[in-house]
Amino acid sequence: MNDDGELELAQRALAHLDADEAQATVTRERSLASRFARSAPTQATAIDDTVVELLCVLDGHTGAASTNQLHDEGIAAAARSARAAAAAAARSGGGTYPGLPDPAPTRPHQGYDRATAELDAGDAGAALGAAFAACAAADLEAFGIWTAGEVRTAIASSAGVALTDAVTDAHMKVIARDAHGRSGYAATTAVATASIDPSALAAAAAARVSGGEPLELEVGEYRVVLDHAAVGTLLEFLGSLAFNGLAHAEQRGALCGQIGRRVAAPCVNLADSPRAPATLPRSFDAEGVPKRPLPLIQDGVAHAVVHDSRSAALAATSSTGHALAPGGAPDGPEPTNLVLAGGGAATLEELCAPIERGLFVTRLWYVNTVEPRHALLTGMTRDGTFLIEHGEITRPLRDVRFTDSALRILAATEELTAAQRLVSDADFYGRRFASGVLCPALRAEGFRVSGGSA
Amino acid sequence: MRVSGGHVEGVDCTSEEGVGIRVAVPGRGFGFAATREVTKTGLELALARAAAIARALPLAARRPPLPPIPPACGHWASTCEIDPFELTLDERLELLLAAEALLHGDPRIVRGVAESLAIRTVVALASSDGAALTQERTECGGAITAYAAADDELQKRSYPNGHGGSVALAGHEHLLALELAANAPRVAEEALELLSAPPCPTGRTTLVLGDEQLALQVHESIGHALELDRILLGEASYAGTSWVSPSDIGTLRYGSQLLAISADATLPGGLGSFGWDDEGVAAQRTMLIEDGVLRATLSDRQSAAAIGVASSGAARADGFARQPIVRMTNISIEPGEAGTLEQLIADVREGVYMETNRSWSIDDRRLHFQFGTEIGREIRDGRLGRLLRNPTYAGITPQFWGSLDAIASAPAWRLWGLLNCGKGEPGQFAHVSHGAAPARFRDVEVGVLR
Repeated sequence: MNDDGELELAQRALAHLDADEAQATVTRERSLASRFARSAPTQATAIDDTVVELLCVLDGHTGAASTNQLHDEGIAAAARSARAAAAAAARSGGGTYPGLPDPAPTRPHQGYDRATAELDAGDAGAALGAAFAACAAADLEAFGIWTAGEVRTAIASSAGVALTDAVTDAHMKVIARDAHGRSGYAATTAVATASIDPSALAAAAAARVSGGEPLELEVGEYRVVLDHAAVGTLLEFLGSLAFNGLAHAEQRGALCGQIGRRVAAPCVNLADSPRAPATLPRSFDAEGVPKRPLPLIQDGVAHAVVHDSRSAALAATSSTGHALAPGGAPDGPEPTNLVLAGGGAATLEELCAPIERGLFVTRLWYVNTVEPRHALLTGMTRDGTFLIEHGEITRPLRDVRFTDSALRILAATEELTAAQRLVSDADFYGRRFASGVLCPALRAEGFRVSGGSA
Repeated sequence: MRVSGGHVEGVDCTSEEGVGIRVAVPGRGFGFAATREVTKTGLELALARAAAIARALPLAARRPPLPPIPPACGHWASTCEIDPFELTLDERLELLLAAEALLHGDPRIVRGVAESLAIRTVVALASSDGAALTQERTECGGAITAYAAADDELQKRSYPNGHGGSVALAGHEHLLALELAANAPRVAEEALELLSAPPCPTGRTTLVLGDEQLALQVHESIGHALELDRILLGEASYAGTSWVSPSDIGTLRYGSQLLAISADATLPGGLGSFGWDDEGVAAQRTMLIEDGVLRATLSDRQSAAAIGVASSGAARADGFARQPIVRMTNISIEPGEAGTLEQLIADVREGVYMETNRSWSIDDRRLHFQFGTEIGREIRDGRLGRLLRNPTYAGITPQFWGSLDAIASAPAWRLWGLLNCGKGEPGQFAHVSHGAAPARFRDVEVGVLR
C-alpha cells in the first residue's frame, strides 16, 4: 500500500461513519526485530499489520473503534461501534470535546529512509554478527536487539483533513556482559539503519564493563554525571509529569503555578522539536494538527505545556499538536520529540573534571513516579555505574537506587555536553510509535542516592 | 469506557484478528512473523518470512531440541455469567456515571474517574507437535479514582486499586460485585484527608501490607525473579536477569518458613488461567516456594529444556503479533493462619499499615525494591491510627521475605488481576493475577523518600 493507498482507505472508512463530525486514521506497521542473548540469536519477529481507527463525534462526545479487518464489512462494523459509542456517551448530557481540528498545512520532514523500509533481514544478521565479534574480542557476551520499522499514517476527517505521513526508525542496543555479571550499555536510534554502527556500539558497551570489583556507595547526595541515556529517561518522565496539558489544567501537573518562573538552571533549554535533526520527525499528531516546535523551558524558565484539542479547550487555548490518539488520549497529550539543548562540555571527561567525589551513571532502570506534583522519581542505575574521584572515573560502583525530582536535577544542572544523542527504549508496546529524546549528558549537584544494590 | 467530571470521556471498541507463525531454526533461535491476512496465501507468506528472518541471523551454538509434548486438543473457555458484550453501552455507562458522580462535592477533588473494560479473546493454536486447540477468555473489571489537590499537594485515592482496577477472568458480574458506587464516598474522603495527613515516618518498623500491595510485591520480587528465561539470561537485554540461579532450585531459602508461593493456571477467575499455554502445554498448578524454600520456576519449553525439566506451562503471547515468552500465570502467596487484618495488627505495638500501590521500582535482578502506596495508617498499641500520606518502604528480596512473620487466613485472601505486566521486545503486556492476604513484616525500612 502506498501513501495514496492509506489515504484512500481512510477516506473509504470515513464514508462509513454516519455523523456530523468524524475522523478515520489508517496506520500500517511493517517491522522487523532480532533479539540476541549470550551472543546468539534468540527471537526474530516480523510484523505486518494495518489498523483503521474511527472516531465519531456527537454533541461534544467521542466514540472510537478500531479494526484491522479492512474489508467493507469489517470497517462498517467498526463504524457502527464508534457511532454507538458516541451516541451512548451523548445520552449522558453535553460533552466537552470541542470538535475536530480544521485542516492546516503540514511540512515535510526527513524522517523516512527508503532503504530502511526494505526491512532487510540480512541487515539484522550482519549487525548481530558484528556485535558478537566485537564483544568476543573483549571476552564478553552480547545481549540486545536490532530493530527497524516503517509506519505509514493517513488521516481523513469530516473537517476536511486529508493527510499522509511515512516514517522509518532503526534501533540497536548492545549490552556487553562478563562472566561475573558486570555489564555495559550502548544504543543508537535513528531514522535509518545505515546510521547504526554495530561494531562501534558493541565496543562502546564493552568499554563500560570494568574488570574491577565494584564498590558500594553509601546513601547520600552526590555530584553526578548522567550520560545521555540517563538524561533521556528523566526527560521522558518529565514530559508526562510536567508538560501534559490535561494534567496541568487539572492542577495535577508538576509545573502548576510555575509557568513563567525559573524551574531549572539557566543552561537548561528544553523544547519539543519535531523536525530537529537527529530526532524521529512527524508531520502531524493523532488529530491531524501539524507538528511545530514548541519551547518548553527557556533559559531555565518554564514556558509552556503541550495540548491536544481536549486539553486545549479546558485551558482555553489552542492545540499544540500533541494528541496521542484520535480525539485525544484519555490521559492527555505529551511531547514526543523532546530536545534538550547541548552545553559547552566537549566530552564526558570534561563533565567529570570538577567532581572531587561523585558518580557517573550510564543509564537508569525501572524508573517510576513517587510524587507526580514534584516530579519525584525513583529508579535504579544499570549497565555502567562508576565512582568519580578527583575529576576522573576511577572504579565501578554497585548499582544504586536514586529517589530524586527530575525538576530538581535540572535546577541543579551545572553543565551539559555539546553533543546530543537520540535516546529511546524502542520497546514498542502495542502499535509501533517510535519516539525518543534528543539530549546531551549533564553534570548536576546533589543527586539523591537512596539505596544500593548488593 | 471512562467517565470523568460527570461526562463520558471516551468509549473505545477494538477488534483485531491475525495470525502469528513461529518456527524454530536450530542455532538461530525462533523466527516469528505476524500478519492480519488470515488467508492461505497470507499464512504461507508469514511462514516463509518467519523462516527467512531467522535464517538470516548468525549461526550460534545449538540449544537442546524442544522435548516432545503430548498433543493438546480440545476447547477451553473461561466462565462468564453475565456476558458484557450482550449488555447495552448505556447499562454499562450508567454504572460508571453513578459511581463517578459520588466522587465529587468538594472543589479540592480536581479529577474523578470511573472506568471499566471488557475483553474477549479467542485463540486457535496448531503446532507441528500435534496441537489443535481453541480457547475463549472473557475479562471484566473496573475502578474509580479521585485526585485531590490543594496548595502544593496532590493525592490520589482509588478503588479497588490504582492500576485499572480489579480485573478478573469473568463476566460483568465481577464489575457489579466491586460495588464502585458504594465505595466512591470513602475514596473521595480519603483523598481529601490525605492532603493534610502527616507524612509517613522514616525508619525501621513493623510493616503490615494490605492484600493488593502484597500482590504487587509478590509479582515484582518473586514472580519475575522466578521466570526461567530471565534466570538463564535470555531477557538480560531488556527486562533483566534474576538474583536466583538454576542451582538454587530445591535449596535456596527465599523467605521465612511461612512463605508458600503457587503458580496456578487453573485458578477460577485468574487472568493467568487458561486450558493450555501458547505452546500447547496444559495448565497446571505448581508450588514455586514451600516452607520458604525455592522449589521450581516458571518456564516455557525452551528454558525448561535448558535445565532438563518439563515446561511449567508459562509460555504466553500478547496477541497474534507477539511470540510466546515466559510469563507469570496466577502467582499467589498462600494464605496463613493469622486470622484477620485486625488480628495481624493487634500484635503490633508500633508500625505502619500500607495499602493500594502507587509506585513501584525494582532492580534488574529483582533484588532491591522500593514501593509507595496511596495510603498508610499509623499502628499504635495494636490499633490502626491516623492516616499517613506518601507512604513508602524499601527492602532486599530475601531479607524482606525472611521478615514475614504472619499472613492472614484464607477468608482474607483475594485474587488481584494486573493488566500491565511488561516484558519482551517488541513489548508485550501480560494479564496475570496474584492471590494474597494481608501480611506482616518486621523491621522494614519505611518513609524512604523523605
